[in-house]
Amino acid sequence: MHRVLGDRRAVAILLGPALLVYTLVMLVPIGWSLGYSFTKGNSITGFSWAGFSNFQRLADDPAVHDALWFTVKYAVVVTAGQVAAGYALALLYTFYLKRASALVRTLVFFPVVLPTVAVGLLFQKFFQVAPQTGPVNSLLELVGLHSVDWFGSAGGSFWVLVLMDVWRSMGFYAVLLFAGLVDIPEEVLESARLDGASGLRLIRHIVLPLSFPVLMSSAIFSINGTLKVFDSIVALTNGGPGSGTTPLTLYMFQTSFTYGDYGYGSTIAVLLTVLCLLVTLVVFRVSRRDLTKG
Amino acid sequence: MTNNPTRTGRTRLAGYTAAAAAVVLLASACGSGGTGASASPKNFDYLSVTENTTIKKTLTTLSTTSCADQNKALPLKVDTVPQSGLDQKLQLLAGQNALPVQFAAGNAPALTTQLFTAGNVANLEDELTKLGAFDQLQPAAVSTIKALYQNKLAVLPYEYNIEGIFYNKKVFEANGVSVPKTWDELVAAAAKFQGAGVQPFAASGQQGWPLTRLVSGYLYRSLGPGAMSAIANGTARLTDPEYVKAAQQVAELGRKGYFGQGVGSIDYDTAMNQFLGGKAAMFYMGSWALANIADAEQDTVGAENVGFMPFPAVAGGKGSIDQYPSNVGLPVAMNAKGFDQKTGDWVKCVARNYGSVALKDQGTISGFKVNTPVESANAVTGQIRDTIGASKESVLWFEALFSTKATTVSQQNAASLVTGATSPEKFMQLVQDALAQ
Amino acid sequence: MSVDAPLRTAPAHAARPAAARRRRPLRGLWAKVLIALLVVVEVYPLVWMFLTSVKSNSDYLNHSTWSLPTHWEWGNYAEAWTTGHIGLYVRNSLLAVVPSLALVLLIGAAAGFALQIMVWKGRSLTLLVFLAGVMVPSQLILLPLFTVYFRTGLSGTLWPLVLTYTGTGLPLTVFMMATYYKTVPRELFEAAAIDGAGILRAFWTISLPMVRNAILTVGLVQFFFIWNDLLVALTFTNSQDLRTVQVGLLNFTGDFGATRYGPLFAAICLNVFGTLAVYLFLNQKVMKGLTGGAVKG
Repeated sequence: MHRVLGDRRAVAILLGPALLVYTLVMLVPIGWSLGYSFTKGNSITGFSWAGFSNFQRLADDPAVHDALWFTVKYAVVVTAGQVAAGYALALLYTFYLKRASALVRTLVFFPVVLPTVAVGLLFQKFFQVAPQTGPVNSLLELVGLHSVDWFGSAGGSFWVLVLMDVWRSMGFYAVLLFAGLVDIPEEVLESARLDGASGLRLIRHIVLPLSFPVLMSSAIFSINGTLKVFDSIVALTNGGPGSGTTPLTLYMFQTSFTYGDYGYGSTIAVLLTVLCLLVTLVVFRVSRRDLTKG
Repeated sequence: MTNNPTRTGRTRLAGYTAAAAAVVLLASACGSGGTGASASPKNFDYLSVTENTTIKKTLTTLSTTSCADQNKALPLKVDTVPQSGLDQKLQLLAGQNALPVQFAAGNAPALTTQLFTAGNVANLEDELTKLGAFDQLQPAAVSTIKALYQNKLAVLPYEYNIEGIFYNKKVFEANGVSVPKTWDELVAAAAKFQGAGVQPFAASGQQGWPLTRLVSGYLYRSLGPGAMSAIANGTARLTDPEYVKAAQQVAELGRKGYFGQGVGSIDYDTAMNQFLGGKAAMFYMGSWALANIADAEQDTVGAENVGFMPFPAVAGGKGSIDQYPSNVGLPVAMNAKGFDQKTGDWVKCVARNYGSVALKDQGTISGFKVNTPVESANAVTGQIRDTIGASKESVLWFEALFSTKATTVSQQNAASLVTGATSPEKFMQLVQDALAQ
Repeated sequence: MSVDAPLRTAPAHAARPAAARRRRPLRGLWAKVLIALLVVVEVYPLVWMFLTSVKSNSDYLNHSTWSLPTHWEWGNYAEAWTTGHIGLYVRNSLLAVVPSLALVLLIGAAAGFALQIMVWKGRSLTLLVFLAGVMVPSQLILLPLFTVYFRTGLSGTLWPLVLTYTGTGLPLTVFMMATYYKTVPRELFEAAAIDGAGILRAFWTISLPMVRNAILTVGLVQFFFIWNDLLVALTFTNSQDLRTVQVGLLNFTGDFGATRYGPLFAAICLNVFGTLAVYLFLNQKVMKGLTGGAVKG
């Protein structure tokens, strides 16, 4: 029965090009770079074998610990924010706006298109404290609070970053989740309503479990993106103040290219890759278990 | 200017990527043979950075006026590359033995020194002496270049900047403050302005370097002109008490709020605008700001109301108030291998005429002598020109002799130093650690 | 776990308008306020960007960020066009983006088909290998790629961009296409193949139209990734004639960290409103596809 679908020549023709490009552009360079993690130096000075010394250094480097902690904290908070905001929007589209939602969906999706540079400047201006008071601080003063120098502390910068990344991509997740919500059979909702469920109860007991798979996949997309965050941090804070908002990617990049320590930079990248793999495995596990349950 | 990595979002990102590319390219470039284009150049090629338009414009003007003959023999040809991509480009070209006749030198003096050692960069002291044009350079500019490039004249001073404190004369008068001569007077003046509700200093914490230069300024005054080379050659450490003291002094200004609110997110243009808009009394900057000061649209205070003072002395210090921190803006090196007769003619003509044309057309002070008298646009420009002409000894800036890592660490943490988020001891420790790596 | 849900097409509302109308809406003032707030939060930045693009530098620095321009500096657009070389850079961006997008979608869909519909040993492992690529930070592959492109003489053309965009876009595309094909019954292709059309033909004529919407969705996502890329474009373009739009935005930075904000934002606006047009056009298509094609087996 499966003879037609087992045609090896067809598999080769269909898969071949993708596998070839992927191997040449991704797999080989990845292996190549990871090989550097056992070396010292860069391509100007040449590479010399360093054994596991980079990994030793990785374990002892306080900057790596800070960056790792920041990366995890950022990924968790932003992923939660993106998915939650996206889900709220998707619910809004599905149950309130319904067929009129196209315009709002487009509007909310749109920040995804904006160049990071522009978004960075936008948020700098909106949260600025001097020379002019930005809109956010004006609002704080209006309700009787003091202005905050958001970018003066790592904590303040962190929250502005979170807000910026949630704002940028909630529309994207809203569209993903919306497509999932639309798929829920009307009959299911109808019968639940007949049973007396409505409003939040309906969402909690019927909609949420039914859209769980798509929620999970959104979370995976999101966390893989946030663990690798780079552009938005460079555009908004450049890892500052000091190194208060420096994630692993930025630290790796500075180490490899700005400071010319490519071997150690690759070692940091290994750590990041392992982290991404672990997180994805965990999320996969959780989603599998839940799917089998119901 | 190359020695101050610009730190806005775009350029940062660009810097990172370009740095990446640069590292890669060198390896690649070494591998490929490449056809040497150095024998006898067909054009007077100049590889510039996109950000700098002054040199390009002035050379173009020269090619149609004073140096028209030389241009006929060897036509000027300008190519540009973004500042952040410069190192990459240079390394690629050097690897292929195809450096242009003259090119903007790399972002760190170290790269140019490497190229010099490899015989790619001409020793301009020798060449200019041969051409009989060495006397066209300002002694102060020569001294600055030699301090940067291990005592070699490796680049041409198409720009020459000294740094100091610009101040608002009106604000000084209104508050009865006279120009401070010592650090203590400066602090007292700042306190008076703060009390009167005027922000004492405008400074860009986002750039970082305007703040660290206050630290090095203090160090040069308290420990003398050798303060930073002692760090570079390891005879002193930034964590030594006399060095930490400088950071403490600057941090103290920040603690008292003399830089205004949110200094960490003030960018270069904003700081400039705060001063030129009359909202701040003093502004540490280089003489390149004269162009902004002369621009009536930006400068609502009025050029006649802007004064310039040297970084003040420190009581009991070894440095002297007339040792100005200085730099050559965008340093331009010349290819040693393509330096033939026609090139020599061009360079000679440039050395004779560049100074006056740049000053007249662009308002830029160069390290060349001004042979055709040019009226200064305003008093403060005249003052700075005289200062440069009379200057015999100059000093560098905080990061001039640092590694890239130490430079980054220093400039990124400068804002935290003045907001108090990082203590002076910690700041100096961070930079020293970065230097040690 | 299924990623296919977002890509599934079922136009529930369109198909069952009567049922939809019967749904009890969460009506109330709060929802209206929320939507109004949402619109403000999304639209205002666009207005801000536009207003900033017609301000002079001193205007930008001296007045509140929400104020109107004191005078409208339309010259910023002229400067953006010339300094930003927008025409040339848009052309370069298109030359890099369009082929890579076409390539990544075509070979990505083919690979997804081979991995999900076809039956052979090692396919789940291969899918996992592709999936692993989603997690790799792209900074890691820059150095080796650069060496390769340089040695093979590809630098100095737009090929490095096309290849890199295709390669880095593949993992997500393959993964999404594979999960999408999961919802298509295999028997359909078997039947078609047995009917005389080869499996390759079945892929082309039967499966591709069926996954049309998935391709559009993935294409849209990839388009924005590639269009907004700065890292790859800057690393692999080494001549002025090859710069893309995003790299061109760097032209507005001057010496010492000075920035010409007006022209910069004018260039950003040209860029953004251009992509907005593309988006609205594609969006129309996507929506049409979503509502028009009841293609599911």
